[in-house]
Parts: sequence; structure tokens; C-alpha cells
Amino acid sequence: MESAKVIETLGLRKTFRDFWRRPVVEAVKGLDFSVRQGEVFGLLGPNGSGKSTTIKMLLGLLHPTAGEIRVLGAAPSDTRVKARIGYLPEVSHLHPFLTPRETLMYYASLFGMSHGVAARRTAELLTMVDLAHAADRAVGRFSKGMARRVGVAQALVNAPELLILDEPTSGLDPLGCREVKDLVRLLARNGVTVLMTSHLLADVEDVCDRVAILDRGVLRAEGQIADLLRKPDAVRFLVEGLSEEEASALRRELEARAGCRVQQDFPAMSLEAFFLQVVAQDGRLRTFEMAPFLQAEHVPGKGPA
Amino acid sequence: MIKAVTQSVRRIGGVALLAVRASLRTKVVASLLVLLTVCVAVLPGVVKGDGTPEGDVHILLAYTLGFAFGIQCLATLWASCALFAAEIDSERMSLSAVKPVRAAEFWAGKWLALLALNAAVLLVVYAGVYAQLAWRMHRSGWEAADRPVSRRVTRPVLPTPREEARQTFELMRQKDLLPKGLSEKAVLRALEEKAQERYDVINPGEQVRWQFRLARPLREGEPVTVRVKFDTEYSTREHVKGVCRLSCRERPGKTVEVALDDFTQNALEFAVDTRAFASEEAGKEASRSGGNGLREFELVFLHAGDPHKSSALMVRFRQDVALLTPGGSFEANFARAACVQWGVLALLAAFGLTLSACFSLPVAAFVATVLLVLTMVGNSVVQVVTEEDEALWRNRIGIWVSRGVHGASSQAMSVEPLKALTNGERIEVGVLGASLAWNVAWLPLLLAVAGCAVLRRRELADAD
Repeated sequence: MESAKVIETLGLRKTFRDFWRRPVVEAVKGLDFSVRQGEVFGLLGPNGSGKSTTIKMLLGLLHPTAGEIRVLGAAPSDTRVKARIGYLPEVSHLHPFLTPRETLMYYASLFGMSHGVAARRTAELLTMVDLAHAADRAVGRFSKGMARRVGVAQALVNAPELLILDEPTSGLDPLGCREVKDLVRLLARNGVTVLMTSHLLADVEDVCDRVAILDRGVLRAEGQIADLLRKPDAVRFLVEGLSEEEASALRRELEARAGCRVQQDFPAMSLEAFFLQVVAQDGRLRTFEMAPFLQAEHVPGKGPA
Repeated sequence: MIKAVTQSVRRIGGVALLAVRASLRTKVVASLLVLLTVCVAVLPGVVKGDGTPEGDVHILLAYTLGFAFGIQCLATLWASCALFAAEIDSERMSLSAVKPVRAAEFWAGKWLALLALNAAVLLVVYAGVYAQLAWRMHRSGWEAADRPVSRRVTRPVLPTPREEARQTFELMRQKDLLPKGLSEKAVLRALEEKAQERYDVINPGEQVRWQFRLARPLREGEPVTVRVKFDTEYSTREHVKGVCRLSCRERPGKTVEVALDDFTQNALEFAVDTRAFASEEAGKEASRSGGNGLREFELVFLHAGDPHKSSALMVRFRQDVALLTPGGSFEANFARAACVQWGVLALLAAFGLTLSACFSLPVAAFVATVLLVLTMVGNSVVQVVTEEDEALWRNRIGIWVSRGVHGASSQAMSVEPLKALTNGERIEVGVLGASLAWNVAWLPLLLAVAGCAVLRRRELADAD
């Protein structure tokens, strides 16, 4: 059975205008796509393709020029919908004079949480993003990676059903990227629907179930990653333990059978995997321990306390 | 319902706490406090007084508090202009706006934060000024008569300027004297302004009388102070020589007579002990009326100047004649003055916040400052403008804007707390309540509705 649509856009358009209301740029041109419950959906595209504009319209920060948006079954401006969404912008835009603890308490208060619940969630999130040791230092003095962790934590403070991540790995080192990707997968396993944008294709390939590719405001492709990337007229064998002579003999045999040239190579690990293997020897690569309230309370349809 | 209200209160509290933290940690409040402390500590020493206790009181209550209030007005206006605008410009607002917070909750939170900060700063300023006043009183050993007081002000019993304008208008209509080409509203407005400024003209040898009815009767032994200020036709400084006779209706047969020998444009004051009205006949009257106190007075002024040399004296009887009676402690009046100023600051904060929701920071701050200046000069423009000025089309826009700003702000600025403190006039609780209702409730509510409507429609993120 097909799961429910969490996000749906129909004929979505956005034209930016200047002071005199003259159209300057048409950032999104008739976009139709949907995101289903529980999936990790990637919105890909080069810079200026309309990804961030689309996300801002989904969040009600920008108003569409035309078209329709439904998020969790309602208009994006509906505060009941907003209570079920978590958002991490491309730049975290945190208040530099607040500490991570105060930042999370502030955003928790915006969800109407009591002081006790907010304090408990803040403590759990700070532990989860490994910032408990820096909980009372001003965010303005943090490195970009640390600030990003605070950004991630604030996006989760309401145990969202829908998480919208705009370039979540932007500015992070490979360790940070891996951690964020692990987190996305972990949240997805817990039933959170994730919509993320990125122009780093490897990131999207690692975590997304389905992607849509935008270019100059137009949807160019959409579907399951495996389907989009599959070459229907090619087959790859991966065999371990063959010597070079045996491999060459096998290639010749296959060429004779197929009547065409067969490509032979020796697979290597990705640079990211190698980097992580080298720098994470000392155990620096953490695995996110999901905050208890996210595990306990994340049941789709159930709002925050 | 209760849960929704509780959550809303938490959201407003969260927004307010953030605004307070932003003000404190970005050193806005600290800088303001330093500036105000310097003002309160240094200004009274720098401004030269006339050496009298009255002069010192004037410097502390009028100049120092006035200067500090001016600084606080500008700080409040500009800070409030920044609250939304700076957050939207820096895109920090986008992270808050995606949370389930209503525009009204954002507006209320930020406004309440400004209210709390202003209350704290006003408290510091007023405490500083009061400490200086107490120190000067102690150091110079001021007598009881020199110390600042709080007195109820009673004006002569007269129809209100509006009633008088209506009566004059009807009379002019009956005699077909109404000016052609002017609307009834314009004529009534002009007549009302004229009634407010109307003079009694007293030629040498003539006398004039005014009736007073106190809101609270005076007890035996309490002082009643007469205040009167004379002028001349060309506002020249002339000698005032005359006799004031004060009598009380509840104590017939006894009149207190005081000779005046001073100058025009000075506020002349003399106090009369109500025991001075006591007499045998008055005692009988008092026992007949059950000793309910003294309520109704009559003041007669006889111009005793030389008929050949002295000028005619003029008195704006709606403004320049009053009876002053004890009206509580100075400290309570001082606190009420602070409350009036706090209300004005609350209105400025609401005004700045609404502009902040509409425009970017530089535009909001510019518009706010221009409107503030117009508010200050609007009254003068409205008063000096003539029909001839208005006939020129190029003047009309300026006159209309000035009238509009004056009309909108006159009610908000109708109470002058520092003038009242300096003159020892009590700020009535009802007047304070009306001022607060206007400045802290009605006008901010209107501004909030406008600001929230804009916030809901405004795009809170930029195109990337």
C-alpha cells in the first residue's frame, strides 16, 4: 500500500520582483512533486536551480506566485503544521550571544513546551550532538561544525515528523558529513520523513531513497535512485580472490561469449571511506545516540508535549 | 483552551526573554545606562541654577529627567525599529518563523521585553534623581516650604472649551456671522482653540472673579494655594499691583485678602491656611453643614495699578488661574510621573515595532525619527497656521501631515508629568489611568494589529 503524501506541490511557481513589482527572476517554474511518509527525499540541483526557494515556500517563508502546496495535509502557514516540522537552514543563523543550552531552550519555548520538558530535551539533544561539554559557551565563538550541530539539535527539539534539511553537510568536514548522514538514516529508520537539498551528489546517493533533480526552476528528473542510475544494458560482476591471470582469462572468455569488449578493473574504496578509515582510527567517528525523547515520542501523528 | 493559552504564554515569554538577552548581551542596555547615569549624575552639576531650592528642583525634575527621558525615547524607538527588521535582514527570523508562533505572539513578546527593559531603566533614572534631590535637601537643609510637593489643581468653574465653542457657534449662526466657505467642523475647531486660549482683560481699577469647586473638600487647617499668572496684550513684562480676595462659601463673612506686587509672566503663588476663614459666623455655618470641609471658593482680583500708567492685565482663565490643595505625597506623584513616561515609552516601542515589521532597519529608523520630530513640532505648526497659509496649495500637504500627526499624538502626550512635578501639581490617578489606557493599551493594540498584518503577509526570507 502506498504511504501518505507528506509534501505535495502542484504547479508551484515563484517569481521574484523588484521594488517596482517588475519580475526579475523566475526561480521556480511549475514544480510538481511529492514526498511520501517515511522516505528520505533529495532535492538536487546546481546553484541557483531553485532548491532553497522551493524549501522556503514549503516552510511558508516565501509565498508562491502560483500553484499549490500541501505540507502534512495543510497549508505551510498553518501553525499546527509548523509544530510538526523541523528545519535546518543552509546557514544556521543562530543568535551568537546565546549558548547552545539557551538556544535550544528558546526554540523549545517557541513550541510551547514547559520549562521542564524543554530542559530535559535540551540536555538529551546536547548529549546527542556531542555538545554537552560546550553547553554554556556562546555560540558566536563556535567553529562552523559546532554551530551546525546546534542547528541540527534545534531542528529536532520538537521531535519532528517532517525534517527539512537545506544543504545539511554544507561547511562540515568529512567526519561531520558522515555523522549527519548517519543521523538522517537513523531518523528515517525511526519513521521521520526527511526532505534534503544538496549539490553534493555523494551525500544524496548515500542517504536518499528518492530524488528530484531541479535545473533553473524546472524538474528534470524524479524517482528512486537505483532506478535512475541503473544501466539496463550493462551487467557488473564483482568477484573476490581471483589472480590477475585468472581475471584476464575470464575477461577473454566473456568477450568471446558476448562478442564485444568487456571492461575489467580492480575496485577501490571511495575517497570518503578511505579518509574516514584513516582519521577515525582513534574512534573519533561517533555514532549518534538518538536522544531518548526522539525514540520514545517519534510516532507519526503525535505532536510534541 | 487552557493548554493553548499556556503554550501561547510560553511562546511570548520565550520571545521576550530572547529580546531581553539580546539587549543585555549586545550591551545596548549597558551603554544606555552609562549614558543615563552620566546624565543624571553630571547634568545637575553642570546646569547653573539660581541658587534657590526651587531652582534646584527645576533643574533636577525638569532638565535632568527631561533630558534622560529624551535619550530613552530615542533609544526605545531605534531599538524597537531594529527588533524585527534586523532579525529579518540577518535571516535569523526565518528560523523562528518556521516554528508554530503567531505574528501576534512575536509582536507581544518583543513589546513586553521593551516594556520590562524600559521599566528597569526608568527605575534607575528616577532612583538616581530622587537620591540627588534627597541629598540636596539634606545638605542644604531645605525648609518644608521649599521641598517639592504634590497638590491637586482646581481650575475655575467654566464650560469646557468644546461647550463654549458650541455655544459661540450657535450664537454666530443665529446672527448669520458664520464665515463663508468653512465647514462647521473647521469653525468649531477654531472656536475651541480660541476658547482654550481666551483671556479675561482687567483694566486698572477693575476687578474679576472666578469660582472654584474642589473635587475633595479641604479639612480645617489644610492650606489652599492660589496660583495666578498675568500677561499683557503684547506679552511685555509689566508691574502687577493688585489685591486678591479669597472667600469660602462654606464659611461666609470671612475673606482673606492678599496684596500682590510682582510682575507679569511670573506664576504668582500664595498659600492661605483654611483656619483663616474661621469666625463666629463661620463656626455656626460649619456646624450647620455638619463640618464637611471646605469645597467652594471664590477668588476676586482687583487691579490696583495707576489708571494712567498701568497696562491692562490679561489672564488666560482656563490655564493661568488655579487653586492648589494638598494632594498626597510627592513620592507618590513622582512614581505616577514615572508611570506616565513609561506609558509613552510603551507607545514608542509599539510604534517602532510596527515600523520594524514593515521596513528594513534604516527605513524604519528614518521614518520613526521623522514622525517623532513632526510630533514635537506638529503642535506649533497647528497653532501658528492661518487660513491664508492653508489657502496656498503647496502648504496644504505639510499642514495636513502636521495636523494628522498632532491629532494622533496629542492625546498620547496630553499629560505632562515633568511640568506637573516641577509645578508641584498632582497627577490624578484617573488621568494616569487614561494616559496608560491610551498609551499602553489602545494605541499599541492598533499598532499591533497593523504590524501583525504586515508580518503575516511579508516574506521572511530572501531569494538565495
